[in-house]
Amino acid sequence: MTDDAVPSDSAIHVKNVCKSFGLLDALRGVSFDLKKGEFLTVFGPNGAGKTTLIKILSTIARPTSGTAFVAGYDVLQGDARLRNEIGVISHATCLYGDLTPFENLVFYARMHGLNDPPGRASQVIEEVGLKARMHDPARTFSRGMLQRLAIARAIVHNPSVLFLDEPYTGLDPHAAVILKEHLAALHTEKRTVLMTTHDIARGLEMCDKVAIQVRGRIAFMDRVGNVDRDRFERFYFETVENRQKT
Amino acid sequence: MNRYCNQVLALVWKDLAIEIKTKELFSSMFIFAALVILIFIFSADLSVVNAYDVGPGILWVAFVFSGAIGLNRSFMLEKENGCLQGLMLTPADRTAIYFGKLISNLVFLTVMETFILPLFMIFFNVDLLPRLGPLALVIFIGTLGICALGTLLSSLASNLKAREIMLPILLYPLLVPVVIGSVRMTSLLLAGKPLSSMINWLGLIACFDIIYIGVSIMTIDHILEE
Repeated sequence: MTDDAVPSDSAIHVKNVCKSFGLLDALRGVSFDLKKGEFLTVFGPNGAGKTTLIKILSTIARPTSGTAFVAGYDVLQGDARLRNEIGVISHATCLYGDLTPFENLVFYARMHGLNDPPGRASQVIEEVGLKARMHDPARTFSRGMLQRLAIARAIVHNPSVLFLDEPYTGLDPHAAVILKEHLAALHTEKRTVLMTTHDIARGLEMCDKVAIQVRGRIAFMDRVGNVDRDRFERFYFETVENRQKT
Repeated sequence: MNRYCNQVLALVWKDLAIEIKTKELFSSMFIFAALVILIFIFSADLSVVNAYDVGPGILWVAFVFSGAIGLNRSFMLEKENGCLQGLMLTPADRTAIYFGKLISNLVFLTVMETFILPLFMIFFNVDLLPRLGPLALVIFIGTLGICALGTLLSSLASNLKAREIMLPILLYPLLVPVVIGSVRMTSLLLAGKPLSSMINWLGLIACFDIIYIGVSIMTIDHILEE
């Protein structure tokens, strides 16, 4: 199950991961290690390969080369047990508009093989504050409510690793604040979080580690305590500009 | 195995729940199939041609063409809001996703066919009731072939730009053996022949059903992967 080179306290271990789509290199040798319970925010402009990285780590896509382990499982094996350990929240909600939140979550709970799908569905709906609307069709929900429901969908099986791919996309400021509170509550000692965003202010608020990804490479990575927000913002824009030129 | 079956059933339950609420698939398939039969009724003079000769072909044209509408929608539904990605993120085996969609499609097409058969009997003045048992078997294995191949090609076409056009282009030529066999067997049944006299046709369609399902099991992993 776990490779010898992977540290035992590692939740996400990525080594030289490359991904090409024809002539386009989306990822060019990405390597990093994230320990259990850590929160990493990866900043990067559009086309930096952030979503591709999350797709590879969540077994949706296969890397062209390199190795990656999530929760101790090799992503190349596409192990079903790995998918029981991860939850993904992205701008796509992965929800059926004609079903109610309750029906959506019962469905996903059954797909994850949980013992009491209705009970667990009700519990997570309450956690994200949608109990009053749990029997309304999801298509009648606002973008902010859908994103909260997407959180419920991602955590219905209580995963130990969460991937947040641009979770604030399309949200108004008020909905973004509410979402941030819910996302902050998800980060516990037992749960590792990897978030991608280009919103520097929000990205720095919750994380333990920060990274900058440009043109398929990790250009910078450090603990958030070592980073000054103003200098980091300047550094981010300089790094992106320099890398885009080369 | 129990978990696998539960995942397949969860997918079927989800598709049925959506269809019961929206009735999109049934209404579009039924209206299309009914129109096909109605158009042929006006084009064929039943006082000249024998309904038992032309009827089976018309019936299967209605089933196959309206079935394609349902099959096209099958994976398009999963593409909306990134639901297919949501499915891929669950621990379900990719073949469980295929079988879940296959069973859903089979149920939708069978329900549509159940409503079309009485219309066919009325408009063509054909009495199907004495041969209903064997006819149901023929319709079932023919429909299984349509759904087995259609579900696979629907998953393939859902990743393409011109997905609405691509499914029929890919589906119809590959379905030819199943459709010919089904039409031939339906004709023989309406002519009063027993099912035992058409065992070769039955075997041919069953073989194609098995081939379609086998190929789907082997390829669905690669088709669904990005």
